[in-house]
Amino acid sequence: MTLVRSELLKIRTTSTWWIFGLISLALWALTLFFNWLQTEALAGGDFGEVPADQSDQLQAVSAADNLAANLYTNGQFFGLLIVLLLGIVVVTSEFFHQTVTTTFLTAPHRSAVMLAKLVAAGVLALLFWLVTTVLNLVTAPLILNSVDVGSQLGSGAIWRAIALNGLAYLLWSVLGVGLGVLIRSQIGATVTGILFYLGGAIGAVIVLSLLASRYGDWINKLQLLVPSLASGLMVGGDTDIPGNPPQWAGALVLIGYAVVAGAIGVATIRKRDIS
Amino acid sequence: MMSDGQPRPSAGTGQITVSGLTKQYKNVRAVDNLSFTVEPGRVTGFLGPNGAGKTTTLRMLLNLVTPSAGTATVGGSRYADLPDPLRTVGAVLEASSAHKGRTGINHLRVICAAAGLPKERADEALALVGLSPAAKRKFKGYSLGMKQRLGIAAAMLGNPQVLILDEPANGLDPEGIRWMRGFLKGLAAEGRTVLVSSHLLSEMQLLADDVVIIAAGKLIRQGPVDQVMASMTHGVRVRVRTPQADDLAAVLREQAATVDADPNGALLVSGVDAPTVGRVALAAKVELHELTTERPDLEGVFLELTAGKAEIR
Ligand SMILES: Nc1ncnc2c1ncn2[C@@H]1O[C@H](COP(=O)(O)OP(=O)(O)O)[C@@H](O)[C@H]1O
Ligand SMILES: [Mg+2]
Repeated sequence: MTLVRSELLKIRTTSTWWIFGLISLALWALTLFFNWLQTEALAGGDFGEVPADQSDQLQAVSAADNLAANLYTNGQFFGLLIVLLLGIVVVTSEFFHQTVTTTFLTAPHRSAVMLAKLVAAGVLALLFWLVTTVLNLVTAPLILNSVDVGSQLGSGAIWRAIALNGLAYLLWSVLGVGLGVLIRSQIGATVTGILFYLGGAIGAVIVLSLLASRYGDWINKLQLLVPSLASGLMVGGDTDIPGNPPQWAGALVLIGYAVVAGAIGVATIRKRDIS
Repeated sequence: MMSDGQPRPSAGTGQITVSGLTKQYKNVRAVDNLSFTVEPGRVTGFLGPNGAGKTTTLRMLLNLVTPSAGTATVGGSRYADLPDPLRTVGAVLEASSAHKGRTGINHLRVICAAAGLPKERADEALALVGLSPAAKRKFKGYSLGMKQRLGIAAAMLGNPQVLILDEPANGLDPEGIRWMRGFLKGLAAEGRTVLVSSHLLSEMQLLADDVVIIAAGKLIRQGPVDQVMASMTHGVRVRVRTPQADDLAAVLREQAATVDADPNGALLVSGVDAPTVGRVALAAKVELHELTTERPDLEGVFLELTAGKAEIR
């Protein structure tokens, strides 16, 4: 517990957290704008000519629940990236600023230090989630009402989407800590993290759909194994979108990644020479 | 004294014991079957040329680097087994620093929080090293001397029995070095164990009571500074000044002494001791203006001891 307090104090006593906070606030506003446009378009229900097999999907996406869930978890796309980077920085800044020696002199039990870092990064991530969610709870009803969908706050599915969003923030910060241990270089880990996240989302979709068109549709199911897509799936609305694997599968995959990343991180740092 | 009272007795005797310690890196045996002890109440200089394995040894002692073989203990315990490491051992290591964007006082508070020390200790430790005026300045604005003092403040947070410093004089100006010397001697006088590594031998001569000399990862010599130096019979010379240098040189050579002239006109005599030189001069009715025994300084001893074993690596 003293170690967690120390880790939180480390975060509080540098400017990293509020710089990240400001960036995520700006990105939150940006995504809010696009989600608002999207909501208006989908709620208008005017999609023009759409092939038959895609119209089912559109139907599902534009269901009130999904529209609302999307708005109540607004900011998630970049928010998860931010907490991933925060998790990375919690570890790599120790190597970058050469404070890791002092840290391990103070607490020679390295797994305890790493657990404290995981907890501290998680606490910070949940704080980011909390602030974002409060903002969303203010803005989403305004947008939903403006397109005559209603706030949907009575729906259990919405609250579940919000909670799962929190879980996603937590898990991505854990992934960040694990990644930070594996790639000690601050810049290296940050770049890898961004590629891992964005590349995971965009690159994997492209690669997988190319493969799918050659080897058959089942390949699309592999999307589940891409962390960012799994997390997107996990926090999707209640109405299962046809053709996509179920929500809980996304959650399981992401938890699996987080546990593996955290465990590898702890195991690695235990044995490493600090010189 | 600058520090705050007596060290805690918790570290037992506070003796450091290194036994058969070895570290094999891929291509280098950085530390090679090294054994020595460091006693409390004294400043011990840990000497060796660059690359001798000093840093690696200290990091193994502090559980930062895993030994390939052997053990290193403080007061009989391995560092990782100490119940309260910061209250037992304080360390200032090379390649150890603070977050550039954090203030000095916050750097210490972070450590206090992790070690379960009251945060007032941070203020006390800063005052101890005379850094209180810079408490709220960010670390990136600190001079080298201030950084070194902050490192010492961090090491003193737990008021430890044992102090370990790796090349603390590196980069310090003469005033900083003088301060450090006084500070460390004071700590030893309080009964603490002080182990200081250095490749600067001249510095150790003024500071250390004992020395442990290593080269290429191996122990060369250990003992009190004067004993290690006295054991060096080689290189002891008698300096003698006389207006009749040629006469004296001639009679001394009859005694099988080696006589050289130094650039300032004095004679440097080896092979006989100072009383012999005096007696020979009296018998030859040669007038003497100066008669002194010159021992090589630690630097010379060190170069001699490590010669050939300190190839660049
Ligand atoms: N992490 C490492 N990996 C490989 N070799 C190392 C490592 N650390 C130190 N060495 C080598 O071990 C030897 C001893 O280094 P070091 O303990 O730093 O010496 P000193 O502190 O006496 O200058 C050197 O040859 C150095 O190059
Ligand atoms: Mg060194």
